[in-house]
Amino acid sequence: MSNLLEVSNLSKTFSSSGGPFRRARTMHAVNDVSFDLPKGRVVGVVGESGCGKSTLARLILRLIEPTKGTLRFDGEDLRAKTSAQMRDLRAHMQMVFQDPYSAIDPRYTIERAVLEPFIVQGVKPSGGGAAQVEDLLNMVGLNPGLADRFPHQISGGQKQRVGIARALALRPSLLVLDEPTASLDVSVQAQIIGLLEQLRDELGLTYLFISHDLSLVQYFCDEILVMYLGRVVEVLPDTNRQACHPYTITLMNSTFVPDPKQRRVIRPLEGEVPSPFDLKPGCAFADRCPQVNEICRTETPELSKHSGHLVACHNPI
Amino acid sequence: MLEVKDLAVAFGSVAPLSGVTFSLAKGETLGIVGESGSGKSLTAMSIMGLLSMSDGRVTAGSIVFDGQELTTLAEPAYCKLRGGRIGLITQNPMTSLDPLKKIGTQVDSVAILHLGMSKKAARANTVDILATLRIPEPALICERYPHQMSGGMKQRIVIAMALAADPDLLIADEPTTALDVTVQAQIIRLLDDLVKQRDLALLLITHDMSVVAQTCDKVVVMYAGRAIEQGPVLEIFDDPQHPYTQALVGCIPRDLGDGEKLTSIPGTVPTVLNYPSGCKFHPRCARNQDICTTEQPELVRNGDSAVACHFAGAST
Repeated sequence: MSNLLEVSNLSKTFSSSGGPFRRARTMHAVNDVSFDLPKGRVVGVVGESGCGKSTLARLILRLIEPTKGTLRFDGEDLRAKTSAQMRDLRAHMQMVFQDPYSAIDPRYTIERAVLEPFIVQGVKPSGGGAAQVEDLLNMVGLNPGLADRFPHQISGGQKQRVGIARALALRPSLLVLDEPTASLDVSVQAQIIGLLEQLRDELGLTYLFISHDLSLVQYFCDEILVMYLGRVVEVLPDTNRQACHPYTITLMNSTFVPDPKQRRVIRPLEGEVPSPFDLKPGCAFADRCPQVNEICRTETPELSKHSGHLVACHNPI
Repeated sequence: MLEVKDLAVAFGSVAPLSGVTFSLAKGETLGIVGESGSGKSLTAMSIMGLLSMSDGRVTAGSIVFDGQELTTLAEPAYCKLRGGRIGLITQNPMTSLDPLKKIGTQVDSVAILHLGMSKKAARANTVDILATLRIPEPALICERYPHQMSGGMKQRIVIAMALAADPDLLIADEPTTALDVTVQAQIIRLLDDLVKQRDLALLLITHDMSVVAQTCDKVVVMYAGRAIEQGPVLEIFDDPQHPYTQALVGCIPRDLGDGEKLTSIPGTVPTVLNYPSGCKFHPRCARNQDICTTEQPELVRNGDSAVACHFAGAST
């Protein structure tokens, strides 16, 4: 299986310049992230707010410029491309956004919204615009009769389907899904996930699936990257793998099980995610970690093999 | 502690809520679960007497809190209850605190208003409550402003305000929706402990069946403004009778066996302006028959639980 996407040592820092009342600060949004995305696989990125998962998604499509690291898509070095070349390449790599309410221009009809990728790319839709729109709406399970509606006339779930139809318009091979169901009701979430599963099988798509919901990622993804404060702390190569990083384990224990017979005493983690500004040396999780010792406060752990998969921890469980 | 009977609410000619009945005792947690637009927050607002603020009114039924009828209660008396014996925890802690006032001042004001405490006594009360909520260095926190705190910490302050007047009933409207999972677990655990320690009655409003499964004793499942199934949590999860409840339990993402798929419900939740005839769930229901399109099923009791479906029980 060849890799569709190879990410190595990708980092992004944001700096705020100092002023008379402020000192200059650096924020490490994404810090030294490396992973491969093989063709046809679904890789999930999970973490709490501020862990850098959405920044990672935007970096991969070069919607924001990485500070360092390399990105290879289908063998090509993305960072060496000019913005015009990048625009052509994005026909093959598309993104579905979290908020379908703001992702579609309220003044566009659904038809216009779905045709936008063709206009941006200067491509003539094969078989004409109307036929193409009908095709795409059918593909995502929408009634083609909705084509002349406006976004405010359709529901959130339908809007997200339009978002997916638009992402599929140019027949990409990679879809980056940034919390595609976070603003939807659970019953609608299940529909969208079902649709994504079906499209993957039919079109042979590869997904990078970004979510804060560990149980959703466990259900939907083949491989899971767990992020904390900009770093990948654990890579679970399959969903049955026993987690070793104390953070992953906490995340699992904090997830509620929909079964009142399996009620457990949750021992929640104290504290919250620290500020990503001006990180202290050592492991970012050290202040909340039950396994913490001396070395954790001085040395940042690197990803290394432990019981068969990659973990970034000095004291894996 | 709280008895709601056949509650119906209308805004002008629109009736988004009808036929809601449940009761809640001390030391008990009742979950009201449903998707957006199901009427769960509206139920909470009716109990708090906040409907008149947006031109709504209770058109039928009763709400009895500790022997007192609330639907006919005059506004001044309601003001004493609200924030006093009935505490409210809202969904978004970022908007329920005053950004210009110190944390301490905001929490103190509740005890000063409702319990007639002096400023000094109220502050001691505040520090006490913050400590029980496991907030480190409570005296110091009192001097902070909301923007200096994280989301989880702000939600604890909102809980502290709800507790400051020593309420008997706590209404929590999606208390953890805006929070990260690890923080959600902390807050839910905290609410659970409070119910036990203070013998509170907790009404927990949520869209999340997993939260209900982990915390509640009883549950009311709502759909399109009606209770469609209710009863003890163990029974409802073990053997849901209504097709909507069955699907709602089935569509929660979890690690399933290979090849197993999540259940999904076709269609979308109707809005109050286009409620279907008969059973409001029938356009999305797999068991839909002629009778479902014409006749609204009543909530039928069976032991401790009740279900509103013409074809209850039979699994799909």
